[in-house]
Amino acid sequence: MSKRQLPEGFQDLEPYLEWSLATDRERSIKRQTSPMTKITAFYQAVVPRMDEILAYLEQYPLEQVPADAQRLFYLTLSLAKIAPAVEMYGEPVPEGLDTLRLENIDIYPTRS
Amino acid sequence: MALGKNKWHDRYPELGTGPIPVEPYVSPEYFEQERDRIFRKTWLNIGRVEQIPQPGDYFVKDLTVCNTSILVVRGKDGEVRAFHNMCSHRGNQLVWDTKGRCQTFSCKFHGWTYALDGSLRHITDEHNFFGLKKETLGMTPLAVDTWEGFIFINVDPDPQQALSEYLGKGLRTSITGYPFEDLSTNCFSWHTDVQANWKVAKDAFQEVYHISTLHRRIIGDVYASKANPYANALDFTLYPPHGRVSLSANPGRKLTGVESIVQGFGSTVLQQNNSASEELPAGVNPTGYPHWSFDGLALFPNCLIYVSKGTYLTHIFWPITENLTRWEIRTYSPQAETLSGRFSQEYGKVSFRDTLLEDASTLERTQTMLRSGAKKEIVLQDEELLIRQHYKVTESFLNA
Ligand code: FES
Ligand SMILES: [Fe+2]
Repeated sequence: MSKRQLPEGFQDLEPYLEWSLATDRERSIKRQTSPMTKITAFYQAVVPRMDEILAYLEQYPLEQVPADAQRLFYLTLSLAKIAPAVEMYGEPVPEGLDTLRLENIDIYPTRS
Repeated sequence: MALGKNKWHDRYPELGTGPIPVEPYVSPEYFEQERDRIFRKTWLNIGRVEQIPQPGDYFVKDLTVCNTSILVVRGKDGEVRAFHNMCSHRGNQLVWDTKGRCQTFSCKFHGWTYALDGSLRHITDEHNFFGLKKETLGMTPLAVDTWEGFIFINVDPDPQQALSEYLGKGLRTSITGYPFEDLSTNCFSWHTDVQANWKVAKDAFQEVYHISTLHRRIIGDVYASKANPYANALDFTLYPPHGRVSLSANPGRKLTGVESIVQGFGSTVLQQNNSASEELPAGVNPTGYPHWSFDGLALFPNCLIYVSKGTYLTHIFWPITENLTRWEIRTYSPQAETLSGRFSQEYGKVSFRDTLLEDASTLERTQTMLRSGAKKEIVLQDEELLIRQHYKVTESFLNA
């Protein structure tokens, strides 16, 4: 049995760890390349837990987030990323410019 | 809300009702005129003071349209200065990175060194030169000024107007008191190069006529409502060469599942504000509409600023050729204090970004067809007033 990856109480979300991605670019690619069945399954697993998740994450100052909570946080960012696919489009990405052509740039503050 | 017909034309009849030519969007000659008579003559927004908070902080902005690269730096005295990013020896680009902090600027070619105020401090092997006067060999400065924390430069060595005069009292007063500074702590930005004329790109963001069609899925019911099915504007006010639009929101809109989660942590989504502006200065939401969404300032030539409650954003369109544009989008909001706040901001970014991808879907396709030569003109309706104004203003600059 491998070490637990998510905080106590959130282990049931571990099957969705492939969505725990640190960068916007990775999350964009994941959304773009996943079928709707996978996107919807992730959405349905996480949405009902969001009140609990956000309440849990609130306890940590931004600069002192333990690794397991950080993974949980990245799941919420992926939820933000795919929510329009489920709620607005019914398909992974809108018919638009290729998502990767809209490139993220750091102006300030500097982020990792 | 008064939903009259042709009401903006009645307010600004001088803009006419006719079609506008395709030529400005495709002609290399027209592009060269825009370069010489507009971009080399007017004040251009190139960033914010928050990018360079400390003495020695600098950023570099490539201004292809003006055939230059610009170095913007905060001096030891706190002043913001701008220079052509060029060494006085044989012209090498002085700073090669895009931003940073330093004490002096040293040329990578032969080591000439400049102070933050642009003056030349050191010449390598100086005694082998021929009677150089160091004090005449500083970096070449550009006119620079700030307004509400936005940094503007003018590459004209002798600008015809001061920045405040160029922006005009009417426009400046209309937004005075908007909390640009408070909202500017957190900047999130994207850019992309699109194969379209810069005005094709700008036009797409200075009309909302397209929302009920192009954006019907992502924000179709955010602005449009039963009473206002095409999201007609609350107001257009022109401050030539600039203009301004005010937009309402749909008070009857239902939030989606994730939106209602996000809502609890501070909305950072411009398009979902749907809120009155009682805490904002009187000039914002000029009609005092209770379900106001945002006001858009169109600063001639290439900058749009959308202000809302709790967040604002800018679009800047940098021409590269008549068929190529660098499009920069920046969103500004307070720094999130918690992870939940970050999640909320992230949702705002994603939803906005999806909208931008839809917007961008038309730009290259439009440019391709404008270049076909099949049509010589395009036609505009009353709500596309700012596009019409841009054309008329451009003509006046080119014919001046
Ligand atoms: S070009 Fe800069 S030192 Fe020679
Ligand atoms: Fe749009």
